[in-house]
Amino acid sequence: MVLWILFAFLTAGVAAILIAPMMKASRRLEDDREGEVAVYRDQLRELERDRQSGLIGADEAENARAEIGRRLLSAADAASKSGGDAATFRRHGLPAAFVVLCLPVVGLCLYLTLGSPGLPAQPLEARLANPGSNMALLVAKAERHLAENPNDGQGWDLLAPIYFRLQRYGDSELAYRNALRFLGETPARLAGLGETLVAASDGLVTEDARGLFERAIALDQGNMRARFYVGLGLEQAGRTADALRAFEALAKDSPPGAAWEQLVAQHIAKNGGTPKAAPLGNPTAEDVAAAQNMGQGDRQAMIRGMVESLSAKLADDPRNIEGWLRLVRSYKVLGEDEKARDALKAGLKAFPGPQPEAQRLLALAREIGVSLEGMTQ
Amino acid sequence: MIIELGHFALVLALATAIILSTLPVIGARRRDPAMMAVAPIGSLTLFALVAFSFGVLTWAYVVSDFSVANVWENSHSMMPIVYKFAGVWGNHEGSMMLWLLILSLFSALVAIFGRNLPETLRANVLSVQAWIASAFLLFILLTSNPFIRMNPAPAEGQDLNPVLQDPGLAIHPPLLYLGYVGFSVCFSFAVAALIDGRIDAAWARWVRPWTLAAWTFLTAGIAVGSYWAYYELGWGGWWFWDPVENASFMPWLAGTALLHSALVMEKRDALKIWTVLLSIMTFSLSLLGTFLVRSGVLTSVHAFATDPTRGIFILAILTLFIGGAFTLFAWRAPRLKSGGIFAPISREGSLVLNNLILTVCTGTVLIGTLYPLVLETLTGEKISVGAPFFNLTFGLLMIPLLIIVPFGPMLAWKRGDLLGALQRLYAAAGLSLFAAVAVFYFRHGGPVMALFGLALAFFLIFGALADLWQRGNFGKAKFSVALRRLAGLPRSAFGTALAHLGLGVTVLGIVAVTTFQTEGVVEMKQGSTTEVGGYTLAFDGMRDGKGPNYTEQRAHFTISRGGVAVADVWSSKRLYTARRMPTTEAGILTFGLSQLYVSLGDPMADGGIVVRIWWKPFITCIWGGAFIMMFGGFVSLSDRRLRVGAPTRKAKPVKTVMEPAE
Repeated sequence: MVLWILFAFLTAGVAAILIAPMMKASRRLEDDREGEVAVYRDQLRELERDRQSGLIGADEAENARAEIGRRLLSAADAASKSGGDAATFRRHGLPAAFVVLCLPVVGLCLYLTLGSPGLPAQPLEARLANPGSNMALLVAKAERHLAENPNDGQGWDLLAPIYFRLQRYGDSELAYRNALRFLGETPARLAGLGETLVAASDGLVTEDARGLFERAIALDQGNMRARFYVGLGLEQAGRTADALRAFEALAKDSPPGAAWEQLVAQHIAKNGGTPKAAPLGNPTAEDVAAAQNMGQGDRQAMIRGMVESLSAKLADDPRNIEGWLRLVRSYKVLGEDEKARDALKAGLKAFPGPQPEAQRLLALAREIGVSLEGMTQ
Repeated sequence: MIIELGHFALVLALATAIILSTLPVIGARRRDPAMMAVAPIGSLTLFALVAFSFGVLTWAYVVSDFSVANVWENSHSMMPIVYKFAGVWGNHEGSMMLWLLILSLFSALVAIFGRNLPETLRANVLSVQAWIASAFLLFILLTSNPFIRMNPAPAEGQDLNPVLQDPGLAIHPPLLYLGYVGFSVCFSFAVAALIDGRIDAAWARWVRPWTLAAWTFLTAGIAVGSYWAYYELGWGGWWFWDPVENASFMPWLAGTALLHSALVMEKRDALKIWTVLLSIMTFSLSLLGTFLVRSGVLTSVHAFATDPTRGIFILAILTLFIGGAFTLFAWRAPRLKSGGIFAPISREGSLVLNNLILTVCTGTVLIGTLYPLVLETLTGEKISVGAPFFNLTFGLLMIPLLIIVPFGPMLAWKRGDLLGALQRLYAAAGLSLFAAVAVFYFRHGGPVMALFGLALAFFLIFGALADLWQRGNFGKAKFSVALRRLAGLPRSAFGTALAHLGLGVTVLGIVAVTTFQTEGVVEMKQGSTTEVGGYTLAFDGMRDGKGPNYTEQRAHFTISRGGVAVADVWSSKRLYTARRMPTTEAGILTFGLSQLYVSLGDPMADGGIVVRIWWKPFITCIWGGAFIMMFGGFVSLSDRRLRVGAPTRKAKPVKTVMEPAE
């Protein structure tokens, strides 16, 4: 409401300013050749100066004086004549009405289509002071705090899982590592960092991640999250029997009705065991699966985008062994064996001969089942 | 709320501009003083509304109000405060706001300082200014509205384009726009004169300060832009014949011609129609420049604004104003009385020659800039017209112009008896310089064209000084007398001399750098050294650094001469974190008038890094000369006679006598 009153005042003020000159008593048009006459007078003085300093010859100066004189005369003449033809002026009803109409009509029509009258101004400081439950703002606030106090382990510890949930895995990894550095190792931090690494490598339990999970388990045998990922790592490596054992042990140690019960049951079934809790048939499990599948499409698209950009980056800068390892692995995970093979071949080309990098590439290929021979088929 | 108030003020500014576009011009037609009187007060109101709106936008940037989409797109809360201010015009919407702000500022200035103008002329001028303002307000509100809001507001902005995060952004666009838009006043004066059907020597006197001011700011703006590109892009070049640079250079060339032709018109009442045409052309080129940069038809270093729908809108504005003005010109110009005739060898004669060459130069640059665009539109073929074309055409055209520059101020108006003597004197001076150059050449070798260029530069510098020398009558009169005479000269004489001297200094820098610069690309490792320009450069190693919104790798170099360390310099590669965008920060060391330019390339696998090093002798002369020109412009602007324009003090008593008589 205050806003609209201000708008009204502003419009009325502008209208008043614009109408004012037309409301004054009518007067004659002033002689407007006056300025011109003055300019010519000044030019005569200037001419004299130029003549004295030799910028113009005496004869030419005489001619020029006559020229300017003629202009001066005609201007003065016109001035005296124009005095007579000035009409006196009537009221200015029409133009004033135009002003009074134009301002609010143009103003309101355009503003109502373009403006957002309901939105208050939102300076960042004020929003940060009172962030409410806006996750992005809370994160921004924590980030500012950490930019000033980068040694605050508690802050990093708090922010790390939030980053993970926002899928900002790079930031999450940094935050976990800082928290580990300042506050020491706990099973939760180790497992959290491991989970972040897994998410960052598209769901693959890497060597680094496995090491972290095992350290977490060493500290706390009861860290179910770490144990799950170790099992998943075994499953991905194709060690089905070990994986089954790990998942069954996990199911046994879990309290009944644990949140991960269904998930573990699925993996037991996948590795050839018989889960106690039925992985399927349970409506909630179905829902979970459906939700997972729905997310799958989006996730797949996102991964594909990341893989493409990685591939492009490697085309520009092929001496990046970590990149090649990741690219081959990613294509395999996406089920694109043909592309995985091509990537492997390109990677080997970047590191020809018996270089250690080439060995690593070949080792990975064996591990995840990408064969060079497939190329020739 | 304040944001919405700013938005509403902008909308109201459009309504005000529409009123200003109509009432005063009708009033002038009907010779109705009351309706004409709306123009000055209305122009001030328009400026106040636009300034308020611009202020609100600036405030939104400073407090990081990310509910404003424009702020979210182009700012970051961690950005240094100076870039929050400058960031306002570091994007399309904001720069159009700056354009509009300056346009309305010039209208307001005409309203304030134009009290000595005939009422009808002033009303018409301000109306024409309001036409331009209306068009651009409509453009801003409908296609580039900076006040569009976001709900909910994001927590952090997307940061300003890192290339623009530089003090140059704070200086270059305002100066450039003061120049660009300043020519709108000349345009409005020309169109107003055409509407009125009356134009005379006094008109030229009234237009001159505006032309001079616009020219001065444009000179400074181009120079700052050139220096910015020089140190920021890391290529070591100072002028790229980039279409965006040409876009600002064309109005400058045409404006320079206008400055000189207005002089002839004022003094001799000649070249009237030509001056009007030049006024229209100069601003048309400014509009064209705005179109080229803002529509995104170009892909170049400045291509940070791209949106085809906007392009169509600007094209419409362009067609309307340029087409309209030329139509009006074709219709009304024959009615203008043409003025006196003059001898070919006279000051006005040399000014005509100046105009001729400058106009052809402008045409050359225009063709070089537009030809690739036209070709691409017609055939789809992408070509770029670069330095070779411009050096050959523009460079060749400039040589005769530069040669005649010192003659101009020496020549008498109409026709002088001293002419022959002056010519002989100059021929002698030129010959002696040429001889000196020849001797130097035979002793030291080197490209003879460059030496000729150097001689030309010195000719310009000494010619400008000789002008003052002769006007003071030094050598003939006693020194003290001459000094007094010199002090008594009008300021515009000093302005002319300074501007011409500055031109000489710039030419000196250009020739010296083009000829004598040395360039090296070397791969350096920690501890290795390289030689350049007589200095030894040692690479001390890299260090990681961190700024408010970027991380950087800084390389440190120690420069020594004859084994003694004389200076050190950092050169760095930055990565702006929000946009993941790298920039180069060249290390530049100034030795006298010359500079050493160190730019980092790619790191090598073995820990070394590619370093590009240039030794640029006398390069600072290029911009130094431009600033001398600018200074000359200001000196000339301070000339008493421009304010005298029509001395109201003398005229006033007449009025006060007349008024009671009514």
